Amino acid sequence: MFSDALVTEFIKLRRSKVTWATLAAFSIAPCAIALFMWIVREPGRAAQLGLLGTKANLAGIQATWPAFLSMLTLIVGVAGMLMLAFVVAYVFGREYAEGTAKNLLALPVARHWIVLAKFVVVLAWWLVLVAAIVAESFAIGALLALPGFSAGLALATLRDVVLVACAAYLLAPPIAWITVLGRGYLPAIGFALATLALGDVFSHTGWAAWFPWSVVPLFVGAVGARRTSVAAGSVVVVALTFVLGIAATIAQLQYADNAQ
Amino acid sequence: MTASADASPAIVTRALTKRYHDVLAVDALDLDVRRGEIYGFLGRNGAGKTTTIRMLLGLIRPSGGEVDVLGRRIGPGETSVFGRIGYLVESATAYPNLTVRENLDIQRRLTGSPQAAVADAIALLRLEPYADRRAGRLSLGNKQRLALARTLLHKPELLVLDEPANALDPAGIVEVRELLRSLADERGVTVFMSSHILAEVAHLADRIGIVHEGRLIEECPREELAAKARAFSAQALTEQERADALLTMDLERYFLWRTGGDE
Repeated sequence: MFSDALVTEFIKLRRSKVTWATLAAFSIAPCAIALFMWIVREPGRAAQLGLLGTKANLAGIQATWPAFLSMLTLIVGVAGMLMLAFVVAYVFGREYAEGTAKNLLALPVARHWIVLAKFVVVLAWWLVLVAAIVAESFAIGALLALPGFSAGLALATLRDVVLVACAAYLLAPPIAWITVLGRGYLPAIGFALATLALGDVFSHTGWAAWFPWSVVPLFVGAVGARRTSVAAGSVVVVALTFVLGIAATIAQLQYADNAQ
Repeated sequence: MTASADASPAIVTRALTKRYHDVLAVDALDLDVRRGEIYGFLGRNGAGKTTTIRMLLGLIRPSGGEVDVLGRRIGPGETSVFGRIGYLVESATAYPNLTVRENLDIQRRLTGSPQAAVADAIALLRLEPYADRRAGRLSLGNKQRLALARTLLHKPELLVLDEPANALDPAGIVEVRELLRSLADERGVTVFMSSHILAEVAHLADRIGIVHEGRLIEECPREELAAKARAFSAQALTEQERADALLTMDLERYFLWRTGGDE
């Protein structure tokens, strides 16, 4: 029955405007960075056009491939966590918003299959978003003719992007749990914003490696210098968050009241 | 869509109770719904009808008591019996971005029904003109038809319907009433339907249970309840009130006749 649950979850995305909206929103970030770098490189022309050349220069950003790809990793890691929260909240929360949860939960399909099918859809959606933004970034970097490109840099960036994309995905299940617990989008979005803020706060403390939502900001250099590796303890914490989040979501649907 | 040879009752509840904090929504409810009958579960708004139905379907957990449906105890993890149940809980809902056909295809896949089941359900509820229209663009009445089509698609042995006539016009109500009667008579389907309108179940149900403040306060065959209602009417209503009631029935029949209904 898992395959049927999976197919139906993909069918539900047909003609959905939310899929395109997330793609459009996520795609804006590399364009914004590209504009920033163009301003840094061409402050005179930027000033003529009324753009914020002075502020861009003050930010100390260099218009180079290493700087551009570093920002890409940061977008996938930090902005991606928020984007992923929207996707998870939508995939799970629409059943409550559209009143279809009651149709879904009294069917001859085990509820854990429904949860797992939804997580596969989220994964596929997330991979498409990440692939799109990576392709877009490389295309924009080439168009801007940024200096400092090398195959090694591209490969290292791809490795880091895959790493942070995986970490962001592993942190998504608690959002699903909050969505089914709160039976809607808003509690999930609130939870996502709170964890993002807490992640930033913990990043400044000695506990950063042990707080799951600090691991990605720490790795991508949102706080302090960029790391080149993730502590083993952080891997365990993130993996535990994933497993507990999925278990809590299944338990919520299995054992709690699911009235809408 | 034939009833199972299993002789166990379609629905049995014993001391079924649901408490929300200090509110007792369902209070030690004992129900026995026989196979092949149409059972009208009547009660005013807030009487506990929907809460009971949700417990029958495992959507909410009882605070106490037991629920057996088609011989299976309803509890966490029990899903196999739901392939034999069609249900409609409160408002008709569907995925608004999907067409009528796609919505039904989801139900088909999740109930393991054959491909032809979608077309059959569309034909049964006369949804052909809207089959490729998005559910979000249907009228309320057609959304209700879509919900009923979803309910019937997998040819269930038991139908659990919460206010099935919601949003239907008088002709639609008569149509659904006839459909449910034929399913019970010709295919042995058991129907458990709730309503807050006596007239809706009086035309259809074999037995009627009246629930009030979470308790079953009366249960009897339709004829017996009708006799009680007539006696009450003769004793408690004025001539004018009886005349008004008859006029309402006459107006409804005239309206149905003018709009192509069956009466």
